[in-house]
Amino acid sequence: MSDLEELVDRDRDHECAGLGADHVCVRLVGVAKLPTRFGDFRIAAFWNNRDAKDHIAIIKGEVRGHADVPTRLHSECLTGDALGSLRCDCRDQLESSLSKIGEMERGIVLYLRQEGRGIGLMNKVRAYALQDRGLDTVEANLALGFGDDERDYAVAAHMLKSLEVASIQLMTNNPNKIKQLEQFGVAVSGRLPHLLPPNPHNRFYLETKAKRSGHFIDLAARFPEQAEPVVVEGMDLDGLGTEPT
Amino acid sequence: MTDVLVLGAGIAGLACAGALVSGGATVTVLDKGRGVGGRCATRRVDGQPVDHGLCFLHGTDRGLLAEIDAVDAPRIPGWPRVVQGRGTPCHPAAFDPASRRVAFVDGVNVFAKHLARGLDVRTSTRVTALTLGEGEVTATTEAGETHTARTVVLALPAEQSSALLAPLPGLATARALLGTVATHPCWTIIARYDGEDDVLDADIFYPASGALQLVVHDSAKRARPRVRTLVLQARPAWSAKNLDLPVDEAVRQLVAEAAALLGPWAGAPTVTIPHRWRYARVDRGTGLAAPYLVALPGGARIGLAGEAFDPAGGAEAAFRSGRQLARRIAAGGVS
Repeated sequence: MSDLEELVDRDRDHECAGLGADHVCVRLVGVAKLPTRFGDFRIAAFWNNRDAKDHIAIIKGEVRGHADVPTRLHSECLTGDALGSLRCDCRDQLESSLSKIGEMERGIVLYLRQEGRGIGLMNKVRAYALQDRGLDTVEANLALGFGDDERDYAVAAHMLKSLEVASIQLMTNNPNKIKQLEQFGVAVSGRLPHLLPPNPHNRFYLETKAKRSGHFIDLAARFPEQAEPVVVEGMDLDGLGTEPT
Repeated sequence: MTDVLVLGAGIAGLACAGALVSGGATVTVLDKGRGVGGRCATRRVDGQPVDHGLCFLHGTDRGLLAEIDAVDAPRIPGWPRVVQGRGTPCHPAAFDPASRRVAFVDGVNVFAKHLARGLDVRTSTRVTALTLGEGEVTATTEAGETHTARTVVLALPAEQSSALLAPLPGLATARALLGTVATHPCWTIIARYDGEDDVLDADIFYPASGALQLVVHDSAKRARPRVRTLVLQARPAWSAKNLDLPVDEAVRQLVAEAAALLGPWAGAPTVTIPHRWRYARVDRGTGLAAPYLVALPGGARIGLAGEAFDPAGGAEAAFRSGRQLARRIAAGGVS
């Protein structure tokens, strides 16, 4: 039995007080090998008591009991992740984190299935439709279910606890994510900037965005699929609005 | 002038107002109806309560369940205990194992009255216009009164909120959001019968086809002595198509369907009372995920809450959206 299969056994009757106001609790229900074009991983599937979504962890190497495990939180984005939409940078961000972690000795990508918080893709399309009409979308995005949500961090934090990771190094450009995870008891030993390697796709995306908004990174106009701005390697990090305000 | 003016004393408006008042704000709630509760409605027919809107409460939200537990009135936990039929309930999640269901012996409206306790609620007060002033919004009522507040919450069916917001500047996004929501009507018939009110095969019947979406054995919730009473509620599509049907014809068609479903006795009510809910059910799939709060130029704020503004649907969604909006209003500073 592998180290993670033991945890599946352990979680069979797991029920705890849960994290956060919503008392989020998760169980590790299955682990299997997952060879990918980005490297050899294991995939771990989780049940949770809050939504009917199957949140997963994509795991490189041995992580149980290890400290400083590089970790990336990725929010599901069907249009970006699967369809290659250029309205967002989700696929670039996902591929970049998988290939980086794939080259490391160990690491985790938490793939959180939270598109649209319960209403899902329909609302994303409705949010895009409002954008297409040039309407202000910051408030509308909240009403449509897109915005930072405590529950997401509670799910992620419990998944990391269930995997018995001692501490993580979070791959993020958004230090607020660290605070959120720490609130739920995750030991965050460091931050790795999440830089995308330049490639024809994100260059096109960034140029398109620059043309449309007049800025490389326009936080206000940005649809917050991943709750953080894209940063391409070689870009000047200062003055791009990526540091905490 | 109060800090917050809430339009609509349904579950969303009351939940929002109650939370704001607990936080120290001054709040006035206006509603066009004679009582509080909106669709969380109970009529008295010869003194016997009849729930002619929603017929039981259900949910998983801890805040909602705590508030239900705090209601000082006799209740029937787990009601409906038996449902029958292959039709789709209004909220299938009500029958999830994790969901709690409850009915009240004196009618579901006791929950709305509980939420309204201690609040400044003005009923029979229909707001006909909103106007934007310097950092404030004024509501003018049918009777010509005015109510002014910095923050106005519209806890109304989306269609009614849209109409009130139409003349205000700078709310294109709010109107566009509201425009994505569809609320369907519901033809409802209260039917009373002579004779012994025995237990029926089910508390609620959900037929698989026909005009009726559900038939509720309403009197099963009441203390004895009681008169057998059914509540017949038509499907959204049928209700929309037949909204202007003459009352006698609607009663005839729906009662005939109840008889086909339950037996000839159900076709011969002694009393029928029709009710047309113009805005009864939020189209599943058009709802939003969270309430909306926007600041207008000058500092006035408009908030939107209601069943359409939370994915749970039903009274649970109304309650949660009201509470969540109250938190957001308070976080931005109430006055």
